[in-house]
Amino acid sequence: MIIAAALCPAPPLLLPGLTGAADVLPELRAACADAVRELVAAGPDLVAVVGPAETTAAWDPAARTALALYAPGLLGAGFDDAALLPVSLGVGSWLLDQGGFAGARQLRSVAGSESVGACAQVGKEIAGLPGRVALLVLADGSACRGLKAPGYFDERSAGFDAEVERALRTGDLDALLAIDPSLASELMAAGRPAWQVLAGALGGQVVASEIRYCDDPFGVAYLVASIRV
Amino acid sequence: MTASGRAQAHQAHRADQAQRVLRLGRRSFEPGQLLVMAIVNRTPDSFFNAGETWDESAAMERVHQAIADGADIVDIGGVPAAPGQIVDVSEEIRRTAGFVAAVRSAYPDVVISSDTWRHEVAAEVCAAGADLINDSWGGWDAELPAVVAAAGAGLVCAHVGRQRPRTRPHRVSYPDVMADVLEQTRRLAARAVTAGVDESAIVIDPAHDFGKNTWHSLEVTRRLAEMVATGWPVLVSLSRKDFVGETLDLPLQDRLAGTLCASSIAAWLGARIFRAHDVVQTRQTLDMAASIKGERPPARTVRALA
Repeated sequence: MIIAAALCPAPPLLLPGLTGAADVLPELRAACADAVRELVAAGPDLVAVVGPAETTAAWDPAARTALALYAPGLLGAGFDDAALLPVSLGVGSWLLDQGGFAGARQLRSVAGSESVGACAQVGKEIAGLPGRVALLVLADGSACRGLKAPGYFDERSAGFDAEVERALRTGDLDALLAIDPSLASELMAAGRPAWQVLAGALGGQVVASEIRYCDDPFGVAYLVASIRV
Repeated sequence: MTASGRAQAHQAHRADQAQRVLRLGRRSFEPGQLLVMAIVNRTPDSFFNAGETWDESAAMERVHQAIADGADIVDIGGVPAAPGQIVDVSEEIRRTAGFVAAVRSAYPDVVISSDTWRHEVAAEVCAAGADLINDSWGGWDAELPAVVAAAGAGLVCAHVGRQRPRTRPHRVSYPDVMADVLEQTRRLAARAVTAGVDESAIVIDPAHDFGKNTWHSLEVTRRLAEMVATGWPVLVSLSRKDFVGETLDLPLQDRLAGTLCASSIAAWLGARIFRAHDVVQTRQTLDMAASIKGERPPARTVRALA
Protein backbone atom coordinates (compact mmCIF):
# COMPACT_ATOMS: atom_id res chain seq x y z
CA MET A 1 0.00 0.00 0.00
CA ILE A 2 1.35 3.40 -0.98
CA ILE A 3 1.14 5.77 1.97
CA ALA A 4 2.89 8.80 0.44
CA ALA A 5 4.92 9.83 -2.57
CA ALA A 6 7.48 12.47 -3.43
CA LEU A 7 8.72 13.70 -6.75
CA CYS A 8 12.20 15.18 -7.24
CA PRO A 9 14.33 15.95 -10.31
CA ALA A 10 17.57 14.04 -10.85
CA PRO A 11 20.24 16.27 -12.35
CA PRO A 12 23.75 15.04 -11.55
CA LEU A 13 24.40 18.43 -9.94
CA LEU A 14 22.37 17.31 -6.93
CA LEU A 15 25.03 14.70 -6.12
CA PRO A 16 27.55 15.73 -3.45
CA GLY A 17 30.49 17.84 -4.57
CA LEU A 18 29.66 17.93 -8.25
CA THR A 19 29.11 21.68 -8.37
CA GLY A 20 32.54 22.41 -6.93
CA ALA A 21 32.87 25.00 -4.20
CA ALA A 22 29.57 26.71 -4.98
CA ASP A 23 26.23 25.89 -3.43
CA VAL A 24 24.22 25.72 -6.64
CA LEU A 25 20.42 25.99 -6.42
CA PRO A 26 20.10 25.90 -2.60
CA GLU A 27 16.34 26.41 -2.94
CA LEU A 28 16.02 23.30 -5.10
CA ARG A 29 18.07 21.27 -2.63
CA ALA A 30 15.96 22.55 0.25
CA ALA A 31 12.75 21.66 -1.59
CA CYS A 32 14.04 18.13 -2.26
CA ALA A 33 15.12 17.75 1.37
CA ASP A 34 11.70 18.90 2.58
CA ALA A 35 9.91 16.49 0.25
CA VAL A 36 12.05 13.56 1.38
CA ARG A 37 11.69 14.57 5.04
CA GLU A 38 7.91 14.49 4.69
CA LEU A 39 8.08 11.13 2.91
CA VAL A 40 10.21 9.57 5.64
CA ALA A 41 8.06 11.13 8.36
CA ALA A 42 5.09 9.14 7.05
CA GLY A 43 6.74 6.13 8.65
CA PRO A 44 7.10 3.72 5.73
CA ASP A 45 8.21 0.10 6.08
CA LEU A 46 9.86 0.49 2.68
CA VAL A 47 10.82 3.35 0.38
CA ALA A 48 10.55 2.43 -3.28
CA VAL A 49 12.81 4.63 -5.43
CA VAL A 50 11.95 4.85 -9.12
CA GLY A 51 13.83 6.70 -11.83
CA PRO A 52 14.47 6.61 -15.58
CA ALA A 53 17.57 4.90 -16.97
CA GLU A 54 18.74 3.02 -20.05
CA THR A 55 17.25 -0.26 -18.83
CA THR A 56 14.34 -1.45 -16.72
CA ALA A 57 15.85 -3.21 -13.74
CA ALA A 58 15.97 -3.68 -10.00
CA TRP A 59 19.15 -2.44 -8.31
CA ASP A 60 21.07 -3.23 -5.16
CA PRO A 61 19.83 -0.83 -2.47
CA ALA A 62 23.38 -0.53 -1.14
CA ALA A 63 24.74 0.70 -4.48
CA ARG A 64 25.45 4.36 -5.22
CA THR A 65 26.25 6.39 -8.34
CA ALA A 66 29.99 6.71 -8.87
CA LEU A 67 30.80 10.40 -8.64
CA ALA A 68 33.89 9.84 -10.80
CA LEU A 69 31.62 9.28 -13.81
CA TYR A 70 30.77 12.95 -13.69
CA ALA A 71 33.66 14.45 -11.78
CA PRO A 72 37.00 12.75 -12.36
CA GLY A 73 39.48 14.42 -10.06
CA LEU A 74 36.86 15.25 -7.43
CA LEU A 75 38.45 14.48 -4.09
CA GLY A 76 37.04 11.21 -2.83
CA ALA A 77 35.33 10.31 -6.09
CA GLY A 78 36.10 6.73 -6.97
CA PHE A 79 34.68 3.45 -8.11
CA ASP A 80 34.66 1.61 -4.80
CA ASP A 81 31.02 0.63 -5.01
CA ALA A 82 30.28 -2.88 -6.17
CA ALA A 83 27.39 -1.76 -8.36
CA LEU A 84 26.96 1.56 -10.11
CA LEU A 85 23.50 3.06 -10.07
CA PRO A 86 22.01 5.08 -12.88
CA VAL A 87 22.12 8.72 -11.92
CA SER A 88 18.39 9.08 -11.25
CA LEU A 89 18.49 6.34 -8.61
CA GLY A 90 21.79 7.67 -7.32
CA VAL A 91 20.18 11.05 -6.70
CA GLY A 92 17.23 9.35 -4.97
CA SER A 93 19.54 7.29 -2.76
CA TRP A 94 21.57 10.34 -1.90
CA LEU A 95 18.45 12.31 -0.95
CA LEU A 96 17.37 9.45 1.32
CA ASP A 97 20.86 9.29 2.84
CA GLN A 98 20.76 13.02 3.44
CA GLY A 99 17.34 12.67 5.00
CA GLY A 100 18.76 10.13 7.45
CA PHE A 101 16.53 7.32 6.20
CA ALA A 102 17.96 4.00 7.42
CA GLY A 103 15.00 1.71 6.63
CA ALA A 104 14.42 -0.70 3.79
CA ARG A 105 14.72 0.51 0.19
CA GLN A 106 13.84 -0.92 -3.16
CA LEU A 107 15.41 0.66 -6.25
CA ARG A 108 13.88 0.29 -9.69
CA SER A 109 14.81 1.88 -12.99
CA VAL A 110 12.50 2.16 -15.96
CA ALA A 111 13.85 2.45 -19.49
CA GLY A 112 13.01 5.46 -21.62
CA SER A 113 11.77 3.00 -24.25
CA GLU A 114 9.08 1.45 -22.01
CA SER A 115 5.47 1.84 -23.10
CA VAL A 116 2.95 3.77 -21.02
CA GLY A 117 1.30 0.50 -20.03
CA ALA A 118 4.57 -1.11 -18.96
CA CYS A 119 5.42 1.90 -16.79
CA ALA A 120 1.98 1.88 -15.18
CA GLN A 121 2.40 -1.84 -14.52
CA VAL A 122 5.64 -1.19 -12.61
CA GLY A 123 3.67 1.29 -10.53
CA LYS A 124 0.94 -1.26 -9.82
CA GLU A 125 3.57 -3.79 -8.72
CA ILE A 126 5.05 -1.28 -6.29
CA ALA A 127 1.58 -0.44 -4.97
CA GLY A 128 1.01 -4.15 -4.40
CA LEU A 129 4.07 -4.58 -2.19
CA PRO A 130 3.27 -5.61 1.39
CA GLY A 131 3.43 -3.08 4.21
CA ARG A 132 3.52 0.70 4.21
CA VAL A 133 5.32 1.79 1.06
CA ALA A 134 6.54 5.31 0.36
CA LEU A 135 7.35 6.12 -3.26
CA LEU A 136 10.20 8.44 -4.25
CA VAL A 137 10.01 9.28 -7.94
CA LEU A 138 12.92 10.91 -9.74
CA ALA A 139 11.82 12.67 -12.90
CA ASP A 140 12.85 15.66 -14.99
CA GLY A 141 10.77 17.67 -17.40
CA SER A 142 11.76 19.02 -20.77
CA ALA A 143 15.40 19.97 -21.37
CA CYS A 144 14.44 22.31 -24.24
CA ARG A 145 13.17 25.33 -22.35
CA GLY A 146 15.39 28.07 -23.71
CA LEU A 147 18.19 29.04 -26.07
CA LYS A 148 20.76 27.96 -23.46
CA ALA A 149 18.99 24.70 -22.65
CA PRO A 150 20.77 21.37 -23.20
CA GLY A 151 18.38 20.61 -26.06
CA TYR A 152 18.03 24.22 -27.24
CA PHE A 153 14.62 25.90 -27.39
CA ASP A 154 11.52 24.00 -28.36
CA GLU A 155 8.32 26.00 -28.19
CA ARG A 156 6.34 22.91 -27.20
CA SER A 157 8.24 22.50 -23.95
CA ALA A 158 6.36 25.15 -21.97
CA GLY A 159 2.95 23.60 -22.62
CA PHE A 160 4.31 20.11 -22.04
CA ASP A 161 5.79 20.92 -18.64
CA ALA A 162 2.79 23.02 -17.64
CA GLU A 163 0.54 20.01 -18.15
CA VAL A 164 2.76 17.84 -15.94
CA GLU A 165 2.73 20.54 -13.29
CA ARG A 166 -1.06 20.86 -13.53
CA ALA A 167 -1.55 17.11 -13.15
CA LEU A 168 0.60 17.03 -10.04
CA ARG A 169 -0.81 20.22 -8.52
CA THR A 170 -4.42 19.13 -8.92
CA GLY A 171 -3.79 15.49 -8.04
CA ASP A 172 -5.00 14.40 -11.48
CA LEU A 173 -2.31 11.72 -11.79
CA ASP A 174 -4.16 9.82 -14.51
CA ALA A 175 -3.35 12.74 -16.79
CA LEU A 176 0.29 11.66 -16.61
CA LEU A 177 -0.67 8.50 -18.49
CA ALA A 178 -1.67 10.66 -21.43
CA ILE A 179 1.85 11.98 -21.94
CA ASP A 180 3.08 10.92 -25.37
CA PRO A 181 6.40 9.05 -25.07
CA SER A 182 7.66 10.25 -28.44
CA LEU A 183 6.91 13.90 -27.67
CA ALA A 184 8.60 13.50 -24.28
CA SER A 185 11.62 12.04 -26.03
CA GLU A 186 11.77 14.88 -28.55
CA LEU A 187 11.68 17.37 -25.68
CA MET A 188 14.34 15.39 -23.76
CA ALA A 189 11.91 14.99 -20.86
CA ALA A 190 13.68 12.05 -19.25
CA GLY A 191 11.11 11.78 -16.45
CA ARG A 192 8.26 10.48 -18.61
CA PRO A 193 8.46 6.78 -17.64
CA ALA A 194 8.85 7.65 -13.95
CA TRP A 195 5.78 9.93 -14.00
CA GLN A 196 3.82 7.07 -15.49
CA VAL A 197 5.05 4.67 -12.80
CA LEU A 198 3.72 7.20 -10.28
CA ALA A 199 0.39 7.30 -12.06
CA GLY A 200 0.27 3.51 -12.16
CA ALA A 201 0.94 3.33 -8.44
CA LEU A 202 -1.59 5.98 -7.40
CA GLY A 203 -3.81 6.56 -10.42
CA GLY A 204 -7.49 6.61 -9.73
CA GLN A 205 -7.00 7.72 -6.16
CA VAL A 206 -7.79 11.23 -5.07
CA VAL A 207 -4.52 12.68 -3.85
CA ALA A 208 -3.57 15.99 -2.31
CA SER A 209 -0.29 17.53 -3.29
CA GLU A 210 2.07 20.37 -2.69
CA ILE A 211 4.36 21.76 -5.37
CA ARG A 212 7.56 22.70 -3.56
CA TYR A 213 9.66 23.84 -6.52
CA CYS A 214 8.89 24.44 -10.17
CA ASP A 215 11.50 26.20 -12.28
CA ASP A 216 14.00 25.71 -15.09
CA PRO A 217 17.18 27.51 -14.01
CA PHE A 218 19.37 25.68 -16.56
CA GLY A 219 16.81 25.09 -19.26
CA VAL A 220 15.60 21.79 -17.77
CA ALA A 221 12.23 21.70 -16.02
CA TYR A 222 12.66 20.71 -12.37
CA LEU A 223 9.62 19.88 -10.28
CA VAL A 224 9.56 18.96 -6.60
CA ALA A 225 6.26 17.78 -5.14
CA SER A 226 4.86 16.00 -2.12
CA ILE A 227 1.88 13.76 -2.73
CA ARG A 228 -0.38 12.85 0.17
CA VAL A 229 -2.53 9.79 -0.23
CA MET B 1 69.73 15.50 -10.62
CA THR B 2 68.99 12.09 -9.12
CA ALA B 3 69.37 8.94 -11.14
CA SER B 4 65.60 8.51 -11.43
CA GLY B 5 65.21 12.18 -12.37
CA ARG B 6 67.75 11.69 -15.11
CA ALA B 7 65.94 8.61 -16.30
CA GLN B 8 62.67 10.53 -16.43
CA ALA B 9 64.26 13.40 -18.31
CA HIS B 10 65.74 10.92 -20.73
CA GLN B 11 62.36 9.31 -21.23
CA ALA B 12 60.73 12.69 -21.83
CA HIS B 13 63.41 13.42 -24.39
CA ARG B 14 62.73 10.14 -26.14
CA ALA B 15 58.97 10.85 -26.12
CA ASP B 16 59.70 14.14 -27.89
CA GLN B 17 61.75 12.31 -30.45
CA ALA B 18 58.71 10.15 -31.16
CA GLN B 19 56.71 13.25 -32.10
CA ARG B 20 56.35 13.78 -35.83
CA VAL B 21 57.10 16.74 -37.98
CA LEU B 22 53.76 18.30 -38.86
CA ARG B 23 53.25 19.29 -42.50
CA LEU B 24 50.38 21.61 -43.33
CA GLY B 25 50.11 23.35 -46.65
CA ARG B 26 53.47 24.81 -47.57
CA ARG B 27 54.72 24.78 -43.99
CA SER B 28 56.31 22.16 -41.83
CA PHE B 29 56.63 22.39 -38.06
CA GLU B 30 59.11 20.67 -35.76
CA PRO B 31 57.82 18.96 -32.59
CA GLY B 32 59.13 21.73 -30.31
CA GLN B 33 57.27 24.51 -32.14
CA LEU B 34 54.09 25.72 -30.44
CA LEU B 35 51.55 27.03 -32.91
CA VAL B 36 48.78 29.57 -32.48
CA MET B 37 45.64 28.88 -34.47
CA ALA B 38 43.67 32.14 -34.63
CA ILE B 39 39.88 31.85 -34.65
CA VAL B 40 38.12 33.76 -37.42
CA ASN B 41 34.36 33.30 -37.31
CA ARG B 42 32.26 34.05 -40.36
CA THR B 43 29.16 33.89 -38.19
CA PRO B 44 26.79 36.46 -36.71
CA ASP B 45 26.34 34.45 -33.50
CA SER B 46 29.43 32.67 -32.19
CA PHE B 47 29.80 32.52 -28.41
CA PHE B 48 32.63 35.02 -28.07
CA ASN B 49 32.87 38.33 -29.91
CA ALA B 50 29.57 37.43 -31.60
CA GLY B 51 29.31 38.85 -35.09
CA GLU B 52 32.57 40.81 -34.86
CA THR B 53 33.94 39.27 -38.06
CA TRP B 54 30.61 38.54 -39.78
CA ASP B 55 31.40 41.29 -42.22
CA GLU B 56 34.01 40.13 -44.77
CA SER B 57 36.21 43.18 -44.48
CA ALA B 58 36.21 42.91 -40.68
CA ALA B 59 37.14 39.24 -41.02
CA MET B 60 40.04 40.06 -43.34
CA GLU B 61 41.18 42.77 -40.93
CA ARG B 62 41.11 40.12 -38.18
CA VAL B 63 43.30 37.84 -40.34
CA HIS B 64 45.81 40.64 -40.99
CA GLN B 65 46.01 41.39 -37.28
CA ALA B 66 46.23 37.73 -36.22
CA ILE B 67 49.11 37.04 -38.59
CA ALA B 68 50.89 40.22 -37.55
CA ASP B 69 50.41 39.12 -33.93
CA GLY B 70 52.08 35.77 -34.51
CA ALA B 71 49.38 33.34 -35.57
CA ASP B 72 50.69 30.36 -37.53
CA ILE B 73 47.29 29.09 -38.59
CA VAL B 74 43.96 30.84 -39.18
CA ASP B 75 40.87 28.75 -38.50
CA ILE B 76 37.88 29.95 -40.50
CA GLY B 77 34.45 28.79 -39.41
CA GLY B 78 30.95 29.46 -40.72
CA VAL B 79 28.82 27.58 -38.18
CA PRO B 80 28.77 28.18 -34.42
CA ALA B 81 29.18 25.12 -32.19
CA ALA B 82 26.09 25.93 -30.15
CA PRO B 83 22.61 25.09 -31.40
CA GLY B 84 20.76 27.94 -33.06
CA GLN B 85 19.91 29.25 -36.48
CA ILE B 86 20.31 26.44 -39.00
CA VAL B 87 23.25 26.89 -41.36
CA ASP B 88 22.93 24.47 -44.25
CA VAL B 89 25.71 23.28 -46.55
CA SER B 90 25.23 25.95 -49.18
CA GLU B 91 25.08 28.74 -46.62
CA GLU B 92 28.21 27.41 -44.89
CA ILE B 93 30.03 27.32 -48.22
CA ARG B 94 28.77 30.82 -49.01
CA ARG B 95 30.13 32.08 -45.69
CA THR B 96 33.55 30.43 -45.90
CA ALA B 97 34.82 29.32 -49.31
CA GLY B 98 35.15 32.74 -50.92
CA PHE B 99 36.78 34.09 -47.81
CA VAL B 100 39.29 31.22 -47.73
CA ALA B 101 40.20 32.09 -51.32
CA ALA B 102 40.68 35.74 -50.36
CA VAL B 103 42.96 34.82 -47.45
CA ARG B 104 44.94 32.44 -49.65
CA SER B 105 45.46 35.13 -52.21
CA ALA B 106 46.62 37.62 -49.56
CA TYR B 107 48.87 35.09 -47.77
CA PRO B 108 50.25 32.34 -50.02
CA ASP B 109 52.13 30.63 -47.18
CA VAL B 110 49.92 30.90 -44.12
CA VAL B 111 48.24 27.70 -42.99
CA ILE B 112 44.48 28.00 -43.52
CA SER B 113 42.23 25.77 -41.48
CA SER B 114 38.52 25.39 -42.03
CA ASP B 115 36.28 24.57 -39.08
CA THR B 116 33.67 22.27 -40.59
CA TRP B 117 32.34 18.76 -40.12
CA ARG B 118 30.76 18.47 -43.60
CA HIS B 119 32.52 16.83 -46.53
CA GLU B 120 30.73 19.02 -49.09
CA VAL B 121 32.09 22.12 -47.38
CA ALA B 122 35.55 20.58 -47.01
CA ALA B 123 35.72 19.97 -50.76
CA GLU B 124 34.89 23.60 -51.51
CA VAL B 125 37.21 25.21 -48.98
CA CYS B 126 40.10 22.93 -49.92
CA ALA B 127 39.58 23.91 -53.56
CA ALA B 128 39.71 27.52 -52.38
CA GLY B 129 43.02 26.95 -50.62
CA ALA B 130 42.42 25.46 -47.16
CA ASP B 131 45.23 23.23 -45.86
CA LEU B 132 43.55 21.70 -42.83
CA ILE B 133 40.02 20.61 -41.96
CA ASN B 134 39.25 21.16 -38.29
CA ASP B 135 36.50 18.60 -37.77
CA SER B 136 35.34 19.72 -34.33
CA TRP B 137 32.45 17.26 -34.33
CA GLY B 138 34.51 14.13 -34.07
CA GLY B 139 34.11 12.45 -37.43
CA TRP B 140 30.34 12.76 -37.66
CA ASP B 141 30.48 12.79 -41.47
CA ALA B 142 32.05 9.50 -42.57
CA GLU B 143 32.73 10.86 -46.05
CA LEU B 144 34.94 13.65 -44.76
CA PRO B 145 38.32 11.83 -44.58
CA ALA B 146 38.24 10.74 -48.22
CA VAL B 147 37.49 14.29 -49.34
CA VAL B 148 40.32 15.63 -47.17
CA ALA B 149 42.68 12.98 -48.56
CA ALA B 150 41.73 13.74 -52.17
CA ALA B 151 42.44 17.43 -51.55
CA GLY B 152 45.81 16.66 -49.97
CA ALA B 153 44.76 18.50 -46.81
CA GLY B 154 45.24 17.69 -43.13
CA LEU B 155 42.59 16.65 -40.62
CA VAL B 156 41.89 17.37 -36.96
CA CYS B 157 40.41 14.32 -35.22
CA ALA B 158 38.44 15.45 -32.18
CA HIS B 159 36.71 13.67 -29.30
CA VAL B 160 33.08 14.61 -28.77
CA GLY B 161 31.81 11.51 -26.99
CA ARG B 162 28.38 10.73 -28.37
CA GLN B 163 27.36 14.25 -29.36
CA ARG B 164 25.73 15.11 -32.64
CA PRO B 165 26.88 18.34 -34.33
CA ARG B 166 25.55 21.50 -32.72
CA THR B 167 24.10 19.82 -29.65
CA ARG B 168 24.99 20.44 -26.03
CA PRO B 169 26.25 17.75 -23.69
CA HIS B 170 23.61 16.78 -21.14
CA ARG B 171 24.48 14.71 -18.07
CA VAL B 172 27.41 13.03 -19.83
CA SER B 173 29.42 10.56 -17.81
CA TYR B 174 32.49 8.42 -18.46
CA PRO B 175 34.06 5.62 -16.43
CA ASP B 176 37.35 7.11 -17.67
CA VAL B 177 37.05 10.17 -19.88
CA MET B 178 40.67 10.08 -21.06
CA ALA B 179 40.33 6.44 -22.09
CA ASP B 180 37.33 7.47 -24.20
CA VAL B 181 39.26 10.41 -25.68
CA LEU B 182 42.19 8.17 -26.59
CA GLU B 183 39.99 5.50 -28.10
CA GLN B 184 37.96 7.89 -30.23
CA THR B 185 40.78 10.12 -31.43
CA ARG B 186 43.04 7.17 -32.28
CA ARG B 187 40.23 5.49 -34.16
CA LEU B 188 39.51 8.68 -36.14
CA ALA B 189 43.20 9.16 -36.90
CA ALA B 190 43.45 5.56 -38.11
CA ARG B 191 40.33 6.07 -40.22
CA ALA B 192 41.95 9.14 -41.77
CA VAL B 193 45.11 7.20 -42.58
CA THR B 194 43.03 4.46 -44.17
CA ALA B 195 41.21 7.06 -46.24
CA GLY B 196 44.56 8.29 -47.50
CA VAL B 197 45.15 11.43 -45.45
CA ASP B 198 48.86 12.20 -45.14
CA GLU B 199 50.04 10.90 -41.73
CA SER B 200 52.14 14.00 -41.20
CA ALA B 201 49.01 16.17 -41.47
CA ILE B 202 46.82 14.44 -38.89
CA VAL B 203 46.20 16.09 -35.52
CA ILE B 204 44.18 14.94 -32.50
CA ASP B 205 42.11 17.15 -30.19
CA PRO B 206 40.48 16.27 -26.84
CA ALA B 207 37.84 18.94 -27.60
CA HIS B 208 37.34 20.65 -24.27
CA ASP B 209 33.67 21.27 -23.40
CA PHE B 210 32.50 19.07 -26.31
CA GLY B 211 30.70 16.07 -24.84
CA LYS B 212 32.22 16.99 -21.49
CA ASN B 213 31.34 18.74 -18.28
CA THR B 214 33.89 20.96 -16.56
CA TRP B 215 35.27 18.12 -14.45
CA HIS B 216 35.88 16.10 -17.61
CA SER B 217 37.64 19.02 -19.34
CA LEU B 218 39.87 19.55 -16.31
CA GLU B 219 40.71 15.84 -16.30
CA VAL B 220 41.69 15.74 -19.96
CA THR B 221 43.87 18.81 -19.40
CA ARG B 222 45.52 17.16 -16.39
CA ARG B 223 46.16 13.97 -18.36
CA LEU B 224 47.04 15.51 -21.73
CA ALA B 225 50.41 13.75 -21.77
CA GLU B 226 48.53 10.52 -22.48
CA MET B 227 47.36 11.99 -25.79
CA VAL B 228 50.82 13.31 -26.59
CA ALA B 229 52.20 9.81 -26.00
CA THR B 230 50.17 8.53 -28.96
CA GLY B 231 52.64 10.33 -31.21
CA TRP B 232 49.93 12.31 -32.98
CA PRO B 233 50.32 16.09 -32.66
CA VAL B 234 47.80 17.42 -30.14
CA LEU B 235 45.62 20.48 -30.70
CA VAL B 236 43.81 22.11 -27.79
CA SER B 237 40.92 24.51 -28.08
CA LEU B 238 40.62 26.18 -24.69
CA SER B 239 39.91 29.78 -25.45
CA ARG B 240 37.27 31.44 -23.22
CA LYS B 241 35.43 28.15 -22.87
CA ASP B 242 32.83 27.27 -20.26
CA PHE B 243 35.17 24.96 -18.34
CA VAL B 244 37.35 27.99 -17.67
CA GLY B 245 34.32 30.10 -16.83
CA GLU B 246 32.89 27.52 -14.45
CA THR B 247 36.22 26.80 -12.79
CA LEU B 248 36.80 30.47 -12.03
CA ASP B 249 33.16 31.56 -11.91
CA LEU B 250 33.78 34.23 -14.54
CA PRO B 251 31.88 35.46 -17.59
CA LEU B 252 33.24 35.25 -21.15
CA GLN B 253 35.08 38.56 -21.11
CA ASP B 254 37.02 37.63 -17.96
CA ARG B 255 38.29 34.19 -18.98
CA LEU B 256 41.62 35.14 -20.53
CA ALA B 257 43.84 34.44 -17.52
CA GLY B 258 42.25 31.03 -17.01
CA THR B 259 42.62 30.28 -20.71
CA LEU B 260 46.31 31.18 -20.65
CA CYS B 261 46.92 29.10 -17.54
CA ALA B 262 45.33 26.07 -19.20
CA SER B 263 47.36 26.82 -22.34
CA SER B 264 50.59 26.90 -20.33
CA ILE B 265 49.86 23.56 -18.75
CA ALA B 266 48.83 22.01 -22.06
CA ALA B 267 52.06 23.33 -23.60
CA TRP B 268 54.09 21.87 -20.75
CA LEU B 269 52.39 18.50 -21.26
CA GLY B 270 53.16 18.51 -24.97
CA ALA B 271 50.26 20.06 -26.91
CA ARG B 272 51.46 21.70 -30.13
CA ILE B 273 48.55 23.70 -31.57
CA PHE B 274 46.51 26.20 -29.55
CA ARG B 275 43.24 27.46 -31.01
CA ALA B 276 42.69 30.93 -29.62
CA HIS B 277 40.79 34.18 -29.77
CA ASP B 278 43.56 36.21 -28.08
CA VAL B 279 46.55 35.83 -30.36
CA VAL B 280 49.03 38.23 -28.74
CA GLN B 281 48.55 36.83 -25.25
CA THR B 282 48.56 33.24 -26.43
CA ARG B 283 51.73 33.77 -28.47
CA GLN B 284 53.48 35.26 -25.41
CA THR B 285 52.27 32.44 -23.17
CA LEU B 286 53.48 29.77 -25.57
CA ASP B 287 56.83 31.47 -26.13
CA MET B 288 57.33 31.65 -22.38
CA ALA B 289 56.30 28.02 -21.93
CA ALA B 290 58.60 26.93 -24.75
CA SER B 291 61.52 28.75 -23.14
CA ILE B 292 60.82 27.16 -19.77
CA LYS B 293 60.73 23.80 -21.50
CA GLY B 294 64.07 24.63 -23.04
CA GLU B 295 62.79 24.46 -26.58
CA ARG B 296 63.04 28.14 -27.41
CA PRO B 297 65.91 30.46 -26.49
CA PRO B 298 64.83 33.57 -24.57
CA ALA B 299 64.51 36.68 -26.75
CA ARG B 300 67.18 38.80 -25.08
CA THR B 301 69.12 37.97 -21.95
CA VAL B 302 71.54 40.45 -20.42
CA ARG B 303 70.59 40.31 -16.78
CA ALA B 304 73.71 39.60 -14.73
CA LEU B 305 75.52 38.86 -17.91
CA ALA B 306 77.12 42.20 -18.60
